[in-house]
Amino acid sequence: MKKTIEVLWPSFLVAGLAEIVFFTIINPQELYFFGEPVRVSEIATYSIGFFGFWLICAASSLTTVFFQRGSEQINHPERFHES
Amino acid sequence: MSDQATSREAQGQAAAPTQEESLYAVRQKVYVRAVSGLFAKWRWGLVWFTQLLFYGLCWIPWNGRQAVLFHLVERKFYIFGWVFWPQDVFFLAILLIISAYALFFFTAIAGRLWCGYACPQTVYTEIFMWIEQKIEGDRNKRMKLDKSDMSGRKARVKGLKYAAWIALSLWTGFTFVGYFTPIRELVQSALSFSFGPWELFWILFYSSFTYLMAGVMREQVCKYMCPYARFQGVMFDPDTLVITYDDERGEPRGARKKGVDPRALNKGDCVDCGICVQVCPTGIDIRDGMQYECIGCAACIDACDQVMDKMNYPRGLIRYSTENAVKKHWGMKEILAHVMRPRTLVYGAILGVVTLAFVWGLATRSPLRVDIIRDRASLAREVADGYIENAYRLQVMNMTEAPRSFALTLEGGEGLRMVGPETIEIGPATTQAVTIQAQIPYGAVEPGSHGIHVVVQALDDAKVRVKEHTTFIMPR
Repeated sequence: MKKTIEVLWPSFLVAGLAEIVFFTIINPQELYFFGEPVRVSEIATYSIGFFGFWLICAASSLTTVFFQRGSEQINHPERFHES
Repeated sequence: MSDQATSREAQGQAAAPTQEESLYAVRQKVYVRAVSGLFAKWRWGLVWFTQLLFYGLCWIPWNGRQAVLFHLVERKFYIFGWVFWPQDVFFLAILLIISAYALFFFTAIAGRLWCGYACPQTVYTEIFMWIEQKIEGDRNKRMKLDKSDMSGRKARVKGLKYAAWIALSLWTGFTFVGYFTPIRELVQSALSFSFGPWELFWILFYSSFTYLMAGVMREQVCKYMCPYARFQGVMFDPDTLVITYDDERGEPRGARKKGVDPRALNKGDCVDCGICVQVCPTGIDIRDGMQYECIGCAACIDACDQVMDKMNYPRGLIRYSTENAVKKHWGMKEILAHVMRPRTLVYGAILGVVTLAFVWGLATRSPLRVDIIRDRASLAREVADGYIENAYRLQVMNMTEAPRSFALTLEGGEGLRMVGPETIEIGPATTQAVTIQAQIPYGAVEPGSHGIHVVVQALDDAKVRVKEHTTFIMPR
């Protein structure tokens, strides 16, 4: 649970920022999806964009959490109970 | 045997606070005791102010539309008479800088004013706790209710509380989305329950976060989730007003009878009633000194002042004071004299300059904007009468909320003439694309690139005029 929140919360904050900056600069109607203009509604584009950013940021947070494990934790995982 | 039991008990009690650390699993639930007093009045005043603004502003009509609307679909922000376009991102950036420096400025002067009085987390927690208190009763009743076994009454009381919380959360989520899609349209959708899928999603998303953060997580949001709480310490210095327990005056603390001189008992003014801890929304003991968990709500000041009144001791055992003031026994006069110091002056100066720039920018903001895009298909082509022609696409934005007519002319270049509409009418807050051609006789100017200007002039106001630079290409 703690690890999950450590991944999801900071990425949520950063995704919010990224969303604002990205869509202030770029009009969703000017976006292309595999060469085709985006056909879904603006609200849907903004929403999907937000979750896209969140996913990317979460991937980064996940990597951080993953690399944070000490050698003890890698060698003897049975001694550490995931909470 | 009984000795062992008591010692185990004592250990258990001593061990309990250290469990605090593993928040996501074990948390000591904080039962906040309600408090009244000067600072509680301020907090409630701000709850009313911010929430009337939040719940009310989206209903105010203006020019036949919603007065404050961040219209995502149209990519326009309406704020009363103003209409902001993505091109106005400059104002948004400046507004963010102003907010940041205002935060720095006020934090340097008087600590976490934002957290204690105005942050939505504090405000909604306050409202949710008020509902809880009205339905479940005061602190002792709530603790008893939670300890009691499930019964018909408990289910009823708890159910009523959750229902009230959910209703308020839903209304909050609805209002929030009402700032991004016109709220009256949302009401129509609500009546027939025909929300768009994403609208419904965001209403529920924001509602559940309101419920979760104000009803369930509360002080944990401030302690573990808020980035500001973690770095606010860097804006503090020994002259920052923070909520302070006067150690020297209070210690050694202890119970005593009313009317007994504490000095005769070799005691300080703190009667150790623990009310300052009971009223604390983050569950800390302010008597342990400055802690990052303290959100600066001043509930403990109100609580302690009431106890001091009862004991006939002077108020202010817990008060707004500074580190230096406590150490050097300063009065209010010296504290105020130290408000002006390099840190606050620098923050204040930057805040003032940026605010002025913002106001100036808004006041002189042109209600007309023109973007020129050269025709990318052909740079220049030959037309009849030996003229060379360049084509341009103009994006003319009428940023006012009334239709307006504009005259188009070209300036600069020998023998320059324009082909295209001489006047255009543009609807309210609309962008119109116009194609124009500039023509110059072949050989009238040197081959190469020449600067020319497109002039767009409002017909009804001589001051509304934009002169945009572009280039004319004369081939060899």
